[in-house]
Amino acid sequence: MRHCKLISIILVMLIFGVNVSVAQNADSLLQYMDNLMSAPKDKQATVKMILTNKSGKEKVREAMMKQKGKDKKLYRYTKPESQAGISTLSLPDDVMWLYMPAFGKPTKVSLLSQSQTFTGTDFSYEDMESKSYSERYSPTLFESGDAENYVLKLIPISKKSKYSRIVLYLNKTHFYPVKMEYYDNRGNYFKVATYRYTKQGKYWYAEEVLMTDLKKSHSTGILMTDVKFDQGLSDDEFRVENLKQ
Amino acid sequence: MKDFTEKILAYKWLIIILVTICTILFGYQIKNLSIDADILSSLPDNDPDAALLKRISEKFGGNSMGVVILETDDIYQTEVLEHVKSITDTISDIEGISTVTSLTNIINIKGQEYGFEIGKLVDEYELPETPEEFEKLKDDVLANEMYKGSIVSEDGTATLIIFTLQDGSDVRAIAKSVIDKTTALNLPKKLYYIGSPMLVTYISDLMKGDLTRLLPIAFLLIAIILLLSFRSASGVILPLLTAVIAIIWSLGIMSLLGYKMSMISNNIPIILLAIGSAYTIHVLNRINQLRITDRDNAIKLALAYVMIPVMLAALTTIIGFISFIFGAYLDMIVDFGIFTALGTFLACLFSIFFVPALLDVFTSKKRNKALFFKKIKKSYLSENFLSPLRILLFKHPKYVLTTWSVLILISLVGTFFIKRSVDIQEYFKKGNPTREAERIMVEKFGGTKPIFVLFKGDMQSPDVLKTMIETGAYMEKSPDIYTTQSIADLIAELNAAVTGEKRVPDEQEKIEQLWFLLDGNEVVQRFVSEDLDEGIIISKFKSPDNSSKKAFANYMKAFIDKHSTESCQIEITGMPFVDITMDRSLLNSQFGSISIAIIFVVIFVGLILRSLSSGIYSAIPIIAAIIILFGVMGLTGISLNIATVLVASVALGIGIDYSIHIISHFNHTYQITGNAKIAIEDSIMISGKAIIINVISVSAGFLILIFSEMVPLQYFGFLIALSMLGSSLGALTLLPVILILVHRKKNNDHFNLNQ
Repeated sequence: MRHCKLISIILVMLIFGVNVSVAQNADSLLQYMDNLMSAPKDKQATVKMILTNKSGKEKVREAMMKQKGKDKKLYRYTKPESQAGISTLSLPDDVMWLYMPAFGKPTKVSLLSQSQTFTGTDFSYEDMESKSYSERYSPTLFESGDAENYVLKLIPISKKSKYSRIVLYLNKTHFYPVKMEYYDNRGNYFKVATYRYTKQGKYWYAEEVLMTDLKKSHSTGILMTDVKFDQGLSDDEFRVENLKQ
Repeated sequence: MKDFTEKILAYKWLIIILVTICTILFGYQIKNLSIDADILSSLPDNDPDAALLKRISEKFGGNSMGVVILETDDIYQTEVLEHVKSITDTISDIEGISTVTSLTNIINIKGQEYGFEIGKLVDEYELPETPEEFEKLKDDVLANEMYKGSIVSEDGTATLIIFTLQDGSDVRAIAKSVIDKTTALNLPKKLYYIGSPMLVTYISDLMKGDLTRLLPIAFLLIAIILLLSFRSASGVILPLLTAVIAIIWSLGIMSLLGYKMSMISNNIPIILLAIGSAYTIHVLNRINQLRITDRDNAIKLALAYVMIPVMLAALTTIIGFISFIFGAYLDMIVDFGIFTALGTFLACLFSIFFVPALLDVFTSKKRNKALFFKKIKKSYLSENFLSPLRILLFKHPKYVLTTWSVLILISLVGTFFIKRSVDIQEYFKKGNPTREAERIMVEKFGGTKPIFVLFKGDMQSPDVLKTMIETGAYMEKSPDIYTTQSIADLIAELNAAVTGEKRVPDEQEKIEQLWFLLDGNEVVQRFVSEDLDEGIIISKFKSPDNSSKKAFANYMKAFIDKHSTESCQIEITGMPFVDITMDRSLLNSQFGSISIAIIFVVIFVGLILRSLSSGIYSAIPIIAAIIILFGVMGLTGISLNIATVLVASVALGIGIDYSIHIISHFNHTYQITGNAKIAIEDSIMISGKAIIINVISVSAGFLILIFSEMVPLQYFGFLIALSMLGSSLGALTLLPVILILVHRKKNNDHFNLNQ
């Protein structure tokens, strides 16, 4: 009897132990990706957004982007001309300030709904959130035949997420995301993002991201050019008062 | 003529084989025949209102919008919101659904002291629970023009879940899926479905139901009547067979030519069954009659005699149907006219070629068997109805004439009370869920009839947007407009969120920058074109009343004339505007088709019988019957609508046959005997019998439509039967009385002598 008990304890420990080790593995993989993404102290780039609707018609927007740490982000739009000068400043705790030059003063925007899409793109506010993936999702590692990528299943921690899960393909060598497949609350695969990462200096960054909403046949491409890292951007750049330029 | 009939018999096998092959081929085509229950697609492109309505529906997607209505005592309850959420989720899940908008997923942009918040009107993950939370939600709903009366009724007892379909998706499959899946949720609240995709699907289901339910009943009923009249298998089989073949050919040709079944043409089978069998009845009747005296040549002789009257009868019926082509507003009525005319033509052809060919094949086999023929039984009909009638007519022709005159006078008065109706709500029976849904929409959401005001101009120009706001406010002053929505309202709402002022900004720059917040929002596509050079005000019209529609059209015209400019061109359209034209065209097409039909019928009958007076005489009973028909409609309140507008011409086409039989019989006998009295008596006694059998079988076929799910078709069936009764009575009483009075004057001797 004691024998049995011992065996079962060992068995439980074994199973439990194995589980823990896999979970840790998935966690650390996601952590690696977060680290890679948030490695630069600051980042500055020209961002081109190409919105393509189902009839193939394109809309192009361009903005100057500045980022410091992971939760201070400034976009200053330059194109289209009618929206030039519009700026958005994202600050910690889901605070966003919007500056529209024609109105003369910045307005604070509270985002109550994370699932809403960000002004015409296929990205939701949730996708653009400053919190790291490890903070937002609990990962499990999939056994897959994919030789180049780890396949991780991410389950949102927040009940308010629009997603039931995200399947993440993570490059085995450099730990950058290659593809993310999004599943809605009812388990339907409805959105996919593909990434093209490149290395500049010591940092990897997504040179191109293509997010496609499969149901709406609408896609948003984001291209980054003139990327500069660690320019020593001051906190002043991210002050509300400085939105007005 | 005899040569011709001989040829028919000589080629009997060829005829039988040809008909059989074609029937199989056309029958095979029917499976491709699809149903199109969309009224919008039947609207003519040459009516500017209809054309604009179609264009706007296509461009801004109004035609692909379906609605689920949830009605309860108070929607501001957590449980109800949970239901709304589960319906919203269920519909979003259906393949082919593009967007779903409801109380639980709608976006709310709201001004705050420090700026504004973008969020959901209701947090679907933390639904409101406390009275305070619901109070706040209620305030949010009522404060926003885009929600109040559009998503939630002002009294808070009903809410809408609005969905749009992806382009090119299978409307009926999706609509069914929406109904099935939301019903499967088993919610305690009653759900209703409305909007073009749901309506179109519902109507086509009704149509299919009508066809599969009513056609067999009509078939059976006509078979029974034929059996009672002919008391022989061929007497039942042959008329029905010709009708069925005519139906198969017509529907097959319809399908081959790419036409679709409409709400009206759905009844082609029942109508053809009723009238298509009539021609064979005449041919058979005459063959049976001649077989008694000359068995071997009966078919040839009968054909030679009956061909002309049968063709004439078919021709007049065809004229009745063809007359719809002129002056009909809806394409589906034109299609109906064309294919019933074709079917009638085919049924007539089959009765002349196919039926004799078949009979010849059959009788040659049986020739040795039947040597004796049954004596004609003294008919119950002749003894108890036709004989007393004949006596009455000759004794009191003036009384009969007076009775008819009084009837016609009363009916003429009745015609002034005829109502017209183009309201789709009246198509469904009372208590029908669609009618209920319509009621809720009218009572709580300002109606279902869409109104669109199209603005051509720069959709980011303050002037254009301000004109839109002004137009919307002007429209809302009309008692029949509940709310209006446009991009200008959205811009004003956004401006309020940013600056606190709910109005369109004065500077274009500001509008362009507010647009940044709207970009990509699906709602925007319902209001402005992609190039931002066109935008619409969406509204709904409440009253089904035609005079309200006209008043509103004039009210709006005054405004548009004043405010439409080069840089901001305004046009208005919508179902109420189409209704006005449709209503006007109901009258026009009614008068147009009847007068065309009467003129052609008189000319044709006159030409073929070689006497204009015969043509005119034969038209009298049917004109009387039509006046009575309109009188009954006026006095009983049956309205003139897209189905009942067809009755008069169809009745004319079929009903004149009775007069033709009487008058040609009279002419024939009068020529031989030279005695008008004998000729009249003969006509009543012999042709009268055939007429009565014919009226009963045709009316029975049409009366089946009383069991239709569509109200206009119920009336259509009833009114045709009524007109058949009227025209046959006219042919059996009014026409003989006129003949008696005319000939008594000319030739008093005959009448006195025989008396």
